[in-house]
Order: sequence, then structure tokens, then C-alpha cells
Amino acid sequence: MKKASAILAILALSVPAFAQSGNIKIGGTWPLGDITGKQGSMAAQQAVDEINAAGGILGRQLELIVIDDELKADKGAAAIEKLVTVDNVDVLMGGMASGVALGQIPAMKKYGKIVISTGAASYKVEEALGADANWYFHLHPWDYNQGASYAQGWDEIQKKYPAIKIKKLFLAYEEGAFGKSSFDQTKILFGEGGRYVVDGAPFKSAAQGGGDYGSMLETAKAFKPDLFLWAGYDADALPMLEQAKAMKFNPGVYLGAPPGWPIGFQNSKLANNVMLYGMWAPSINDISAASKKFYDGFVAKYKAEPATYFAPLSYSAVYVYADAVKLAGTTETNAVIKALEATKYASPLGQTITFTPAKIIKHQGIKNQKILQWQNGRQEVIWPFESATAKPVYPFPKWK
Amino acid sequence: MKLKTSYLSAAVIAAVVIAFPAFLGAYPLNVARSVMTYMALAISWDMLLRSGQISFGIAGLFGLGSYASAIAVMRGGMDPFLSILFAAAFAGVMAFALGFAILRLRAMYFSITTLALMEIFRIVMHNLHDFSGGPEGIVLSAPIFGGNSTALYWLCLAGLFITIGVSWYFEKSKMHLALTAIRNDETSARSNGVDIFRYLLVAFVITSIIQGMMGAIQIQSYGFTTPETAFDANFTLLPLAMALLGGIHSTIGPMAGAVLLGVASEWLKLKIPYGHLMVYGIIIILVILFMPQGLVGLARRMLRGSDKSGRKAGASHE
Repeated sequence: MKKASAILAILALSVPAFAQSGNIKIGGTWPLGDITGKQGSMAAQQAVDEINAAGGILGRQLELIVIDDELKADKGAAAIEKLVTVDNVDVLMGGMASGVALGQIPAMKKYGKIVISTGAASYKVEEALGADANWYFHLHPWDYNQGASYAQGWDEIQKKYPAIKIKKLFLAYEEGAFGKSSFDQTKILFGEGGRYVVDGAPFKSAAQGGGDYGSMLETAKAFKPDLFLWAGYDADALPMLEQAKAMKFNPGVYLGAPPGWPIGFQNSKLANNVMLYGMWAPSINDISAASKKFYDGFVAKYKAEPATYFAPLSYSAVYVYADAVKLAGTTETNAVIKALEATKYASPLGQTITFTPAKIIKHQGIKNQKILQWQNGRQEVIWPFESATAKPVYPFPKWK
Repeated sequence: MKLKTSYLSAAVIAAVVIAFPAFLGAYPLNVARSVMTYMALAISWDMLLRSGQISFGIAGLFGLGSYASAIAVMRGGMDPFLSILFAAAFAGVMAFALGFAILRLRAMYFSITTLALMEIFRIVMHNLHDFSGGPEGIVLSAPIFGGNSTALYWLCLAGLFITIGVSWYFEKSKMHLALTAIRNDETSARSNGVDIFRYLLVAFVITSIIQGMMGAIQIQSYGFTTPETAFDANFTLLPLAMALLGGIHSTIGPMAGAVLLGVASEWLKLKIPYGHLMVYGIIIILVILFMPQGLVGLARRMLRGSDKSGRKAGASHE
């Protein structure tokens, strides 16, 4: 009897050790039919492969399980259920659209797994998470973070380059949640104290069956903006430029803020000197060794260039988690959360990722975006100046 | 005897489906909810189709139900469960009012009008910022039943059972005769005393109630809605494809199509993460090209074929 008890006791003690053996499983959900999700998941796999090639973490290999969320809330929620209950992942990662994140949040709350989110910029997601979601680590800036950083960026650019004068700003926004919240934030942050005059108009994105920007561009042209900004998707980039050219619409700054740009956009003659908001560009390789390592690894592995900042962001998510597990010495949730709170990761985005409180959640990673410009086929960083790779070309050239 | 067997089979299947949560985890239950939602929509679409009217407005009424339920909870403080009943009734009332205008139309004019209505509902929700939350939609404080997988599954299943029950009634009552007569020849149906407008209105209102109810169950299960998610064209296109795959003008056809396409979609996604939608699309095209009568039609043809060969074999033995 005593012997049996001893065996049982040994077995019971060995259970936690057994539970901590095998691969460390990362569950990723991205929209794989979209460039952001496709390249984001590929970059996450690249990071997993790099870490495994270097011996893994705590002597264990990483394993990435990716499920397509199809940009649909119900599919995204089902993916979370599968990753947690069937695949028994240690951490959840990924995401792009806020609408999908809103559908996933009830399942995430139910399981309380660590989530390292690479997308979901809408403040509605933060409100749905609430202050108690200490397991949620949000790498992507919130919409209000982005708006604030752009306002700061344009203030600083005008100070440094007095030739650039921006007073009137027009925002063309896709009619969905992403575009509308961008417009609302821009109105609030740029309109503060009457520094800028802001107007805008919605359009139906080509990604959602639209693609005719005529009336919106007409309104913009009549407004005579110094800065024309559009918030839509990659599918809108070229057709909108074509139509702007056809209508001879020539703002001082022509700026786009899609989550990803179409592959080969730089090959269009219209692309030169278009400005953009983003977090990363291959030109950052010139000033960041981490960026160069990521870029070279991605091109070598996939024979394609990363075309969206979601690639280095998702790559970073894997490293942030791996570093935390290494620091914690375990995959146990509370220990890893504590280790994640101490994160200081020199990311390929050209900045060090740490987690600080946002308006509601406790763990916000990146809080600012960059202002870039397509110059001779390359995305150059214009602002912040410490990451700048080129000076701005201003004004946007007249159409020929 | 045959009828008794089919009732018994239906009762056994229903019992098994009700008991699913006892042996299935949260993920299969979630997938089942999605399949059941599309199944109910496919059946409801088919119910109206039995009159010859092709509606492209499923997503419109589904979205309307979603918003009616969400707004009733958010603005009216209504109990989430009651809000589902309210949303179903609201969709029914809207369909009743609209029916007077659009049920005079036939063929593609009716189809295009229902498609336009879907878009109008979406645009209205987009622009009523203060009331509907605009493009950013509505986030509820929590999903119904605290997001409990089993309860959500049973809620969706209840919606599906109601749909199947009503569809079965449509098949077995004089509704079936009336709708079939209208589909075959309106003039002859009218001359035989069928009140065409009344029957079309009843079918349109009832199918709209089902679509509104399923929309309300969807929003209450996920706890949020936006115009893009509620009025997603997939809520029109997928039920249509499912009904065509399974076989139209019956209850069993859309059910079979929904199970097959719903499960295939999820399975393909797990097996071919980067190309599943393309394969899925090809499957739908091939099925519609080569099996225009759907799975049920194919099964019936095969059964008839085996009956005939059985009879021939019997005759030669004699």
C-alpha cells in the first residue's frame, strides 16, 4: 500500500514536468487571404524557424499552428476555440482586423491564455477587453495612438522644413469601422485648438466591392487641401491615384494609410512621392541591424520582399514571447505575463518594444507610427527623425 | 410504415444533435453553430423559392435582426433572450410592410429589389451613428449566457429546429400546394382560387422572421455587430450555394448542402490554410455545373435507378 502511495506521489509530482515537455505551441490567427495576414504568418514562421535552429527555448522547440480567420468574426472565434481546446497552445498570437478581434474576445476572456496581438487598432476592441485583461499584450498602436503620433509628426516636420505648410487636411476614409474611426481620431487630434482645418468624405473600398472614388475626390478637390490622406485598403491604392490623376487633383501632400500596400506598387509611375503611414519599410535596414536580419531572412526563405509592416510586427511577436518564456524559465501563464511586462526587445521595426499602460489595458506595446514616402521605388522614413532615411519631397509633383 | 420510419429517424437524429455538447468540445460546437446558422438561412431561402420567388435579401433581414436585437438590449435594456424574439418580430413586421410593395414584382425584378433592400439596410445602419453606432457598430457588455459554449449551441439549435419545423409544415400543409401552384403557373393557380399575394406575403414574412431570428442569435452569441459583419453578402451567397448543392424545393436538400459545405469549408481551411477559399470556390462551381439538382436530386435518381434495375431483375427471374 505504502509502495503504491509512493508511486502515485511520484507520478503526481511529475505531472507538471510532463506538462512542460514537448513543443511550445503558438496559436496564430491571421487573415491569410490578405497580404497582411499572409506575410504576417509567414514572418512568424520565420521567427519560429530561427529560434528552433538556434536550439529552441528552454530546450524545447517552438511550433506555430496557423488558422485563417478569413476576416470574419465567427471564423476568428472558432479558430481561438480550436487552438485552445484542441491544439492546447501555450499562447495566442496574430490578428489584423478589429471586427475579428471583437468576435474573438469572449473566447479569449473565457480561457485567459496569453494573447500577443499584432492588429486590432480600434478603440472599441480596447473597450471590449476592459481593464482586467492582463493576459492581453497589444503590439499594434490603437487608433488614438496613431492619430496622436501623426499630429506630432506633422507638427515636427513643418518645424524642421518650413517650406512644408499644412493647414487644411482632407481625409478620405473607407466607410467601414477602420476608416470611420481613423476619421474620428484625425478630426479630434488635428482639429484641437484650430491648428488644422479638417474635412473628409467616405468611399467604398475596392476591397469591399467599391472602387469608384469620383465623388469623394471631387469633394476633396473643392476643399483644396494641403494634405490629402486616405484610409482604406491596398486594393484602393492604385485606382485612387489613377482617378486623382484623371481629375488633375494635386494636393501638396498625397498620403495613404492602408494596413499593407499592393506588391509592386513602387513599379507604377504614379507611386513616386506618395506619402504613407506605416511602421516599417525595407529602408530601415540601413539604420537597424534587426531589420536587416529580418528582411534578409524573409527574402531568403520566401523569395519575396515583405510588403507590409505586419510581417516584422508578427516576427517580433514571436521573439517577444520567446524572450519572455526564456526569462520566466517556464510557459506557466502568470510567470510569462510577469516576464512579458519586463520586455525590452530591439525589434526590426527600428524601435525597442516595451509594454506600458494604454487608456484602458495595461500592456500596450508600440504607440507611434512612422511617416514615410515612396521615393524612386523605395519607402523612405521621413519621421520620426531619429529613424529617418531620407528628406521629404514636397510638394507632390503636378500630374503630367 | 415508411412515414413512421422517417419520423423515428428524425427523432433519433434530433436526440443525437441535442446531446452533442455531452461529447463534443467548444471548437466543434462553434463550427456546428456556424453550420446551423447557415442551414437555417438556406432552408428559409428555399421556403420562399418554393413559390418561384428568388430572394437575394437574406443578409438584409439577418442584419436587421442583428441590429434590432443589439439596439433593444443596448438602448432599451431588454433581456438578451427576449431581444431575439423581438428581433424576429421586428423582421416580420418590416417584411410585412415591404411585402406590399415588393411582392407585386416577379422574377429578376423581385430579386434585384431584395438585393437593393439589403444594401439600403446596411447604409442606414452605417449612417445612424448615434443610434446604431455607425460603421463601428455595437459592442454588448457580454454575449448571452456568458458565452457558455453549450448554451449557445442549444440556442442556435433551437432556432434551427423552429426553422425545420416551419419548413416541414410548409411541405406538408396546403402551403405546399399553393406555393407549388404559384411557381408552376400563376394564372392557373389564380383560376383555381389560390390567393397568390396572401400566400406570398405569408411565406415572405415567415422566412424573414427566421432570418431576423438567426441574425439576433448571431449577435447575441458574439456580443457585437457592425454593418459589415451583419450585412455580409456571405449570409446571402452561402445559404444559396448550400441549398443548390443539397437540392432545392425541400427541407432536407438545404440541410444536406449546409452540412457538406459547412464542414468542407472548415476542413479545407485546416488542411490548406493558404488556398482553401480557392478550392472551396471550385467545389461550389463544379457541383452547380454537374449536379444542378443537388445531392438530394442525385440520391433520388440513384434510388430510382436501383429500383428499376431491381424490378427488371425481378421480372427476368419470373
